Amino acid sequence: MSVLSETETSARAWIRTEANLAGRFLAPVWPIGTFIAVNPLGGLEDLPFAGALQRAGELLGARGTMPESWFRAEHASGRITDQDLLAAMRRRGLLSAEPVRQQLGERSITEAELLLLDLHHGQEAPPPTRRLRMRSELAAADVAHAVDGLATKWCAAFLDCEQASWKMPGREQGFYAAWKRLAWRDPSVSAGTRRTLRELPHTPEDAALAALDGLQVPPEQTREYLQAHLSRLPGWAAHVRWRGEHAGDFDLLSYLAMRLSYEHALMSDANTAPPAQAHDAREPEGGAQPRASYERALDLARGLQTSAATTVRQLADAAEILERIPAGERTLIWLDAYESHYRDRLISTLSADPAPAHATRPAAQLVCCIDARSEGLRRHLEQLGDYETLGFAGFFAVAIRYRDLAGGAASALCPVLLQPSNEIHERARDGHEIVAARAVAGRRALAGAEEGFHTAKDELLSPFALAEASGWLAAPLAAAKTIAPGRYGRLRTRLLRSVVPPAPTQLSVEQGFSFEERALFAEVALTMMGLTSGFAPIVVLCGHGSSTENNPYQSALDCGACGGNRGGPNARVAAAILNGPDIRRHLAGKGIVIPEDTWFVAGEHDTATDTVELADIDLVPAGAETALGSLRSDLREAGRRLSAERCRTLPAAPAQPTSARASRHVRGRSSDWSEVFPEWGLAGNATFIVGPRTITRTLDLQRRAFLHSYDADVDPDGSALETILTAPLIVAQWINCQYYFSTVDPVTLGAGTKTIHNVVGTVGVLAGHNGDLQLGLPWQSLADGKRIIHEPMRLLAIVQAPLQRIDSLIARNTILQHLFGNEWVALAARERACDPWQRHTNHGWQPWLNAEVST
Amino acid sequence: MSHEGLSKMTKIEVVASGADAAAVRELFRTAGATGFTSLSGVSGLGHNGYHQGRLLFNEQAALEMLITVVSDEKVDAMLAGLRPLLAESSGVMFVSDTYVSRPEYFR
Repeated sequence: MSVLSETETSARAWIRTEANLAGRFLAPVWPIGTFIAVNPLGGLEDLPFAGALQRAGELLGARGTMPESWFRAEHASGRITDQDLLAAMRRRGLLSAEPVRQQLGERSITEAELLLLDLHHGQEAPPPTRRLRMRSELAAADVAHAVDGLATKWCAAFLDCEQASWKMPGREQGFYAAWKRLAWRDPSVSAGTRRTLRELPHTPEDAALAALDGLQVPPEQTREYLQAHLSRLPGWAAHVRWRGEHAGDFDLLSYLAMRLSYEHALMSDANTAPPAQAHDAREPEGGAQPRASYERALDLARGLQTSAATTVRQLADAAEILERIPAGERTLIWLDAYESHYRDRLISTLSADPAPAHATRPAAQLVCCIDARSEGLRRHLEQLGDYETLGFAGFFAVAIRYRDLAGGAASALCPVLLQPSNEIHERARDGHEIVAARAVAGRRALAGAEEGFHTAKDELLSPFALAEASGWLAAPLAAAKTIAPGRYGRLRTRLLRSVVPPAPTQLSVEQGFSFEERALFAEVALTMMGLTSGFAPIVVLCGHGSSTENNPYQSALDCGACGGNRGGPNARVAAAILNGPDIRRHLAGKGIVIPEDTWFVAGEHDTATDTVELADIDLVPAGAETALGSLRSDLREAGRRLSAERCRTLPAAPAQPTSARASRHVRGRSSDWSEVFPEWGLAGNATFIVGPRTITRTLDLQRRAFLHSYDADVDPDGSALETILTAPLIVAQWINCQYYFSTVDPVTLGAGTKTIHNVVGTVGVLAGHNGDLQLGLPWQSLADGKRIIHEPMRLLAIVQAPLQRIDSLIARNTILQHLFGNEWVALAARERACDPWQRHTNHGWQPWLNAEVST
Repeated sequence: MSHEGLSKMTKIEVVASGADAAAVRELFRTAGATGFTSLSGVSGLGHNGYHQGRLLFNEQAALEMLITVVSDEKVDAMLAGLRPLLAESSGVMFVSDTYVSRPEYFR
């Protein structure tokens, strides 16, 4: 029988839930080794976008849009027009149907002009301020800083398990037990604090409850008080949330128990009485408040030099109009206008031609990941020949755990929305076991040498011997990597091939998937991408990855649909399944007839070097060899042209290079260990287009569009569209929000500048040597100095499908109701190519392109 | 209906989104449940309209049903954790008497 009373066990369950709920506003942050782009405000997606920004401001002090001064500069440059602003206001019902005139002194202006004047000249609202405060923040700031410092130290000690030479003892018992065992021995805290820590309860529940009691936090304020703690270091808290859900050895309750225990012990030791409120009762920092509407009206009258003649009544009337857009929400109008400027132009250029692009059989088809970077490769390849390209989630619908030839830990190659249930092994192809064994031995020898080198570096005395023994080689190598990264990269590749020879391998597809699973995959994948007829002789399934050096964020450049990994193995599995005679017979029975001379080939697009490697090409039937040769040649040329295009925006790249020079440049960049801009990744992403390629084939979308192929005619029940909208769209929206919020608030929601980053194992990076784990993307992924490369806009989803079908999918999926209804994602749709585009609103579909709005 | 030879227990059934299911399972564990059953991809009509069952590529957005059976003295603790959790989400909970033949499995 339990020795605990029912009250005690109830209190434990209650505080566990409170900790869980308190952390809901934080989206889990994945370790940087398998970086997954997430919406940092994902926990607030059940709120309208504007409400979520307000809440994020109160909780984190985070900015949710670019500042008004930035939007005004964009207006001055022509990126936003007054027409865009007026249309944004009209969509929100802020303008009367008929222009209403307003007198200010001797000037008569319309309400639209008045609101425009305020948008252009109104005093900027102060940035948001974090409003929930810990007791110690209000009574003893040094204690609050000490709690943060100690929390960072112990989080890093526990989580830096893969690189640290001295591992935290007791880790296997979980964080709280391991920390409790050591915390009272920590000489960095006073003897009095250590005495308190020595008497801590055995469970995090009891420790949190005792500390909250000591800090005099009433039960009804507990959740907000926990949020005050979580919002001090949101990066650590968000990663601990992930850890709690995935590893289970360190959860938010344990983290909070540590923080609360420190706060209580340190305040008790300093004999500081806790103040009564967790809320910051003071004015926002600096005492600044948004201007009231009457003051704003007066400001405008002064600006128009009519203030002397303006009556109080006129000002009151003007203030009533200005009240429609509170000063703190003007940036939402600016954002809407900024987005519309791009979106309206994009929508107006989409093709209304219903004719298929290929009346005859194409020479080859290339199925790429929906990743926006694929659009460049597809566009250039299409210009080189009779090629058809398609877009599909880069894991190609095969959610696998993958173990490569060298063995080791398996990687989950699928979106994080899924748990992979099929394990695939890479093994030597029959007859090639010896060379495969040499390759494995070479890889292990290299890994062993690397580990030995790092171990020697980290020991007490061995670095001296290491410098003597290897300095003669290490120094010239370092110089070569820095001065001639391209040549160094080629040399390294040659050396690597001599140690790790390329070995023909195969994947355990038939062992990893049952026939039924393979058949289901094949049917679903082909139906989802709308490729159920018209197969070319060669169909390349092209995953992607990025080769960069000395880049903690390398995983962020790999495939998001493959869990932040390279997508080549998924493409190989998918191709093997679709080449299976038994699967083709099954598909034919379902009406999907793949010609006998069609062969699926796996490929991988390296987005840093713009090269495409094809796998298993020796298996391609003899009859398709010529077509394959042409395709490979054209893929090389398409890659070179793409490199030249990318060079135009990469910092310090040649301005107008030949395609050959551009290709050399991006390869050198990819091998350069000092390069902080290896590629722009998904910077610029802005739209997610679901439909046939005919909609966009004639356009240069500037690598800003996620392109998912879809043919509504082969999906009468909408199941394929439902899958697209509830998975690939979600991944795209996470990526979009990660880029958006990292740009608008690089300090709180991004990762600041790379130049001061310190890596914590495979967990993440710190800005400097201490402090919070960084939440989002580094500034060098978004901007070149002050020049912003990523235009911060929310995602626009464009879907060509029956509107009624889309409505029914939204009605039965809460996640879609949140995204579209709460304005996290805009939605445009039309049923057929000849129909006008419609805008999804909470009041039904509206024509996308309205007539010009007058002032 | 006769319950002769059976032991009375309490059954707690929770329907929650896949994203909330981990928290429910953790509460079951820490509040003393010795086991649970989970059914993923459940569908149905509820307060917020029709809920789609299994989504092909998204397990987090689908609904999950979690069922546990506990002895009566553990119910209050279980509910102390579940009530606030479900108050903040679209999940629902059913608590009912049940009878089991092997009570030692549930204590």
